[in-house]
Amino acid sequence: MSTKKSRLDRLRRSLGLETDNEWPSVVRERLGAYVLLSVYLVVIWFPIYYIFITSIKPSAEVLSLPITFIPRDPTIGNYVDIFTNRPFDNYTINSVIIATTTTVICVTLGTLTGYSFSRYDFMGNKTLLLSIVGARMIPPIALIVPFFQIMSSPPLIGGITGSLYDTRLALILTYTFFNLPFAVWIMKNYFDGVPESLDEQARIDGCSRWEAFFKIILPMAKPGIAATAILAFIFSWNEFVFALVLTSSETAQTLPIAVSLFVADDFVDWAHLAAGGMIAAVPGILFGLFFQQYIVSGLTQGAVKE
Amino acid sequence: MSTEKQPLRRKLDKLFIPLTVGPTLLWIAAIIVYPTVKLIINSFQFRNPVTNEMEFVGLRNFERLLFAREGANAAFGGFSQEFVAITRNTIVYVGFSVTISFVLGLGIALLLHKDLKGRSWFRTAVIVPWILPYVMSGLMWRWMFQADFGAINGALQQMGVISGNIPFLSNGALAMAALIVADVWVFTPFIVIILLAGLQNVPEQLYDAAEVDGASRWSRFWNVTYPFLKPSIMVALTIRIIFDLRALDLVWVMTGGGPGKATEVWASWLYRTAQVFNSPGPGAALGVVLLVVTFAIVATLYKIFGESPYEA
Repeated sequence: MSTKKSRLDRLRRSLGLETDNEWPSVVRERLGAYVLLSVYLVVIWFPIYYIFITSIKPSAEVLSLPITFIPRDPTIGNYVDIFTNRPFDNYTINSVIIATTTTVICVTLGTLTGYSFSRYDFMGNKTLLLSIVGARMIPPIALIVPFFQIMSSPPLIGGITGSLYDTRLALILTYTFFNLPFAVWIMKNYFDGVPESLDEQARIDGCSRWEAFFKIILPMAKPGIAATAILAFIFSWNEFVFALVLTSSETAQTLPIAVSLFVADDFVDWAHLAAGGMIAAVPGILFGLFFQQYIVSGLTQGAVKE
Repeated sequence: MSTEKQPLRRKLDKLFIPLTVGPTLLWIAAIIVYPTVKLIINSFQFRNPVTNEMEFVGLRNFERLLFAREGANAAFGGFSQEFVAITRNTIVYVGFSVTISFVLGLGIALLLHKDLKGRSWFRTAVIVPWILPYVMSGLMWRWMFQADFGAINGALQQMGVISGNIPFLSNGALAMAALIVADVWVFTPFIVIILLAGLQNVPEQLYDAAEVDGASRWSRFWNVTYPFLKPSIMVALTIRIIFDLRALDLVWVMTGGGPGKATEVWASWLYRTAQVFNSPGPGAALGVVLLVVTFAIVATLYKIFGESPYEA
């Protein structure tokens, strides 16, 4: 408190303010920050507001002039329509299954592997870690052709499963490609921050490596796991290009594809598109609002977004 | 605890590393190494339209896509006009988007780093655009820029700034500008997050010392903040550039590369080549070029800043 006060005093003196009554520059600076941030927020949230009001306008109002920025006649009809006239229930289920499964695989494998990379020196561990992380550098879009070919006739297991094209499995396999290296990386960094003496103590107390990991270390890694899980879920939920190439029907298509399907060549059904878009945006908005600190901590530990 | 009673336990313990690392390595090898090898093989092949077989054609795919066959088509260095135009679009798109979102993101990060009440609330609100599906964001901006019923024309008209509608997405330069606006909107939060983390590394006492020395605001930023922020800046810029170069979503849903080829960038060109013409060979060749360019950019940035983006 006293340092703050002296800092303020110094500032006041440096600005040539003699009395305490004048508005200190710290306050002015803060007010300025609030104003700038508020203007920025209003501007960046306006498009989201606009797509939201479009989603609750009747189609006729969407295409009428002048544009209404507050809906005259709000309705949930568009939302009802996309679930009754279009298979939005299927799309949503696909999105949930694909994103959840990918997340579970990536978190499980990523946590175990990240822990070993953090704790043990084994043959080529540095090179292996670097290649896993380097795999993220490969532009996914460069691989759309080979992925399409592989999913259409999978090598080795092709005789058993047949084509994986237009299945949820194809997308789950593909999305682990985006998210697994990233999960390994976040978890490795996270475990680096958990003191090694904890494992050692557990080992001295007679725990096996597995017990030390599951009983002592894993419970401490919850925030790291949360960060990895949230980001892996969001990345898989939002992915568009591979879903576009690898699926063709509602048996496997996800919400981002469903939204893009409202765009016909020369006509766009904006009201329904907006409703579909809001559905697709739900996890992003919810995770953003409630788990923002996990997203930030996960990313700042060296992660990457596709 | 006697040890000879637990042979299985000890065996399992010995297998800890292979069992924890092995599955991930196999998985990644199968899902990344194999497609990458296939990509490189594909790039040397072409599907014979008659027999439908893939035939080895050497470097012909690369030649056809990148170089002009006739003099009339040639731009400088013998490259084809199409290749040069698309590369120029890509540089404009990535260059402007990254620069604008970086400057904006740095400003917002500096504001959010201040000791403000409700800082976490602001941070939450700033982050959201980045975690929405890109497709939805792209379509949302397409709707914003729509000529007749879009919000931007509507707002400008209702405020009396313009009298007629501006056809944002059907004019080449305006369409590119619209794309850049959308890209900046989506990716500024990412810059903010990374830079905010970096700002936490700046020791507070240094600011006090700088204040005592009477350092100006600019010199405080340049001499105190910037050196500590440099690794984060490096990470933010590398990832931004690489991902902008390869991201298709926004371009595809907002303009589809049009009007004409005004907003065609590398990613959309690659997709079109591979998908629309159903030709794995040329598509793969472009994929290989993009792969090489990506690694070249990473290596260059690594050389300049001497630090891997993954080690900051």
